[in-house]
Amino acid sequence: MGNAYNTLAVYPEKCNGCGECEKACAKVKANSTDVVHSRIKVLKSLEDGFFGPVVCMQCGEPNCVKSCPAGALSKNPETGVVEWNEDKCVSCTICTLGCPYAGIYYNPLMSTVVKCDHCGGDPECVKVCEPKALEYRPEASVYNDQGDLEDLFAPGLAACLGCNMEILVRHVLRHVGPDTVLAAPPGCLPGVCAVGFNGFTGSKVPSFHPLLTNTASMLAGLRRYYKRKGRDVTALALAGDGGAADVGFQSLSGAAERGEEILFVCIDNEGYMNTGMQRSSTTPYGSWTSTTPVGPSLPGKANDSKYMPLVMLMHDVEYVGTAVTAYIDDFHRKVEKAYQASKRGFAYLHVFSPCTTGWRYPGDKTMEVQRQAVATNIFPLWEYEKATGKLAFTHPVDNPASLENYLSMLGKFRHLSKEQIEHLKNTAAMRVNILKAMSEQGLAGYQNLKVAV
Amino acid sequence: MPEKIVLDGNEAAAWGARLAKVDTVAVYPITPQSGVAEALSTFIADGELQADLMDVEGEHSVLSVLQGAAFAGARTFTASCGQGLAFMFEPYFRCPNFRIPIVMGIVCRDGITPQCVWGGQQDAMTVKEVGWIHMHCENNQEITDTVVMAYKIAENHDVMLPVNVCFDGNFLSYAAEPVEIVDQDIVDRFLGEKNVNWHAALDPERPMGIDPLTGLTPEGGAMFSRYRRGQCKGMQNALRVIPEVHREWKEMTGHDFAPLIEEYRFDDAEYAIVVIGSMTGAGKDAVDVAREKGQKVGLIKIKTFRPFPVNALIQTLSKVKAVSVVDRSVNFGWNRGFLWQEIMATVPFLQKKIPVTSFIGGLAGTDITVEHMLETINVAENAAQGKVVEETIWIDQL
Repeated sequence: MGNAYNTLAVYPEKCNGCGECEKACAKVKANSTDVVHSRIKVLKSLEDGFFGPVVCMQCGEPNCVKSCPAGALSKNPETGVVEWNEDKCVSCTICTLGCPYAGIYYNPLMSTVVKCDHCGGDPECVKVCEPKALEYRPEASVYNDQGDLEDLFAPGLAACLGCNMEILVRHVLRHVGPDTVLAAPPGCLPGVCAVGFNGFTGSKVPSFHPLLTNTASMLAGLRRYYKRKGRDVTALALAGDGGAADVGFQSLSGAAERGEEILFVCIDNEGYMNTGMQRSSTTPYGSWTSTTPVGPSLPGKANDSKYMPLVMLMHDVEYVGTAVTAYIDDFHRKVEKAYQASKRGFAYLHVFSPCTTGWRYPGDKTMEVQRQAVATNIFPLWEYEKATGKLAFTHPVDNPASLENYLSMLGKFRHLSKEQIEHLKNTAAMRVNILKAMSEQGLAGYQNLKVAV
Repeated sequence: MPEKIVLDGNEAAAWGARLAKVDTVAVYPITPQSGVAEALSTFIADGELQADLMDVEGEHSVLSVLQGAAFAGARTFTASCGQGLAFMFEPYFRCPNFRIPIVMGIVCRDGITPQCVWGGQQDAMTVKEVGWIHMHCENNQEITDTVVMAYKIAENHDVMLPVNVCFDGNFLSYAAEPVEIVDQDIVDRFLGEKNVNWHAALDPERPMGIDPLTGLTPEGGAMFSRYRRGQCKGMQNALRVIPEVHREWKEMTGHDFAPLIEEYRFDDAEYAIVVIGSMTGAGKDAVDVAREKGQKVGLIKIKTFRPFPVNALIQTLSKVKAVSVVDRSVNFGWNRGFLWQEIMATVPFLQKKIPVTSFIGGLAGTDITVEHMLETINVAENAAQGKVVEETIWIDQL
């Protein structure tokens, strides 16, 4: 497959015209407060037909490169960035005429053209853009790294439209590769043909139904014997929250304590969605489920969710990560780390996985729900590596987005009272505080914490 | 020369697994089985057994890790009993359906409640219908030998089922006896190549889905039924394979154990007692005593309980006019013993109906003595003469 490149995505509809991006760019590129040095411009006149940031699109076949008579512009085949070479530039400005996006400018103070270079992959403008009209999209590496790998799952399967698990299973299997044994305990995954139905199977790797209760144990025995025989077979569990946090917890905890070499992915859809949306121990406080119904006498689930990632971290395992498929680059990075860690010991990846059917939201919102869960700190993204002893946020959220907005997306929270919402807010804040303390002070950090709830 | 060493029943079972050169051993302690776990752990620690020791967090995982290892091709062993077996029931229930040849000792223990950690066969008898092969041992030599033979039975292509080697808690688990350890090279030749996952594997080199959803549609239902019929066939094949394996073992080692049932002093027997497990010794002694007194009594020892050796029993029961059956467990549904129920199910196949009296005793680690056995003989003698006791006789009330 061809190279894909990370992009600086522009969402003009979100731009409020504040101009912070211009200031940041001028500062980092010219150490100046004069925005004339900025390589990004905010057009603020609807009469111009545009309101929002204008910046180089790093075209696939850039007109500027073709039109430059001095050979001063070239497209970097590695990064995809259109690079400008000051030594060769003769300041003819022909390039600015050839650009259909107004992405390359003449800077009168410098007497040269200037253009965006993505700040080497960490653009300053993105960091200061409050309304998120600018976003750096680093997912190209996923395509470049994974695009040629075989999809190890059947092209058609029986999941609901908008199901997150399908995305997850395809990406995880593709990443870990064919030398894998997949354990899919009872739930939607085997139901949609990961293990098969009446003689047909949907996975190209060997797969099996463990019991809901013994996923980690069966994989442990399998992995140990392959190791004894000198074969490196990846032991992969794709288990739901029931198979991880509830009835599957004993075998999971035992395998983690023993340091069995397993890559255990918990696909947390916050309940027993496959059997008809009953509550599990990871169902959030207040949530409707079919066994925590809402009526005059009951207000939904009475308890907070069990926060499995920290529970697993306390088993002193090789790796713990939280991930969502909506940040697929982060997802793949964590799958890779967990995969590598599973060759040394127990690796646990906890994936927040919305269920369009059980949570009552339209299937096309699956990604948005995940991103909002991250933005509200309902599901903070972090990882812990035993090798370094460090817990680190991978998508830190200092100013959480509106929880009410997140909850309003999901039918299962429709009934929540102000008090219940406040409770959820406090729980999220408390968990983030614990994680922060641990990321700043090491794992003992939580002991020093004074949590105000 | 074969080595003769003193072993208790738990050590004898561990020795069987050691001789079979198992690859994966899973252990979790429970009285009266813990000695098996300790002996195996020591073998591995001392380098005398090259196996993975999986010291897991409960019996449920004990059997689960073995299932995973078996699908990777490992020869596996463990043992449990009582509450441990009850906790293990979920993977246990499924194990024969996987058709994987795991061998597991059941160090028979009575069921709580009332609280009790001592011998009784309530555990093994309660799980007998799940599809495992059950073989009950009389003494420690038989334990070691049967564990080795169990692999040859379980891994036979026509069987492919897990085997429980059952032996009584306390009476065998803690009783020390001389056991002749067969030379390793003889065992190696006897067992030959491992045959664990040739038919169903979790192996990237030959990917397949293990245990897909099956049923619902007529075709799926037919597939499920075909699978069940295959299991039944494997069980019935075991009734042929178990004697073959015992015969071969005898030829190679000189150790002679009746494979399905044993007839003791049966030549001119007019009535008999039916026993199972460690009580067989007291039973045989009692028969000897009764014979001295002129009673024409024989003994039937049930070695293979699942699959039930009905044809062998028809032949044997046809020779007598009455039997007393001694159970070390309680069949609540019949207010009698489990073994009694099995014998009663065989009686209609005989030319002539015979009376079958149910004895229940030896519960919670109590002894069944020669005196008790003599009473069962008297009851059988009376029954043969037409004086039949219809009610269950509880040995502790004798």
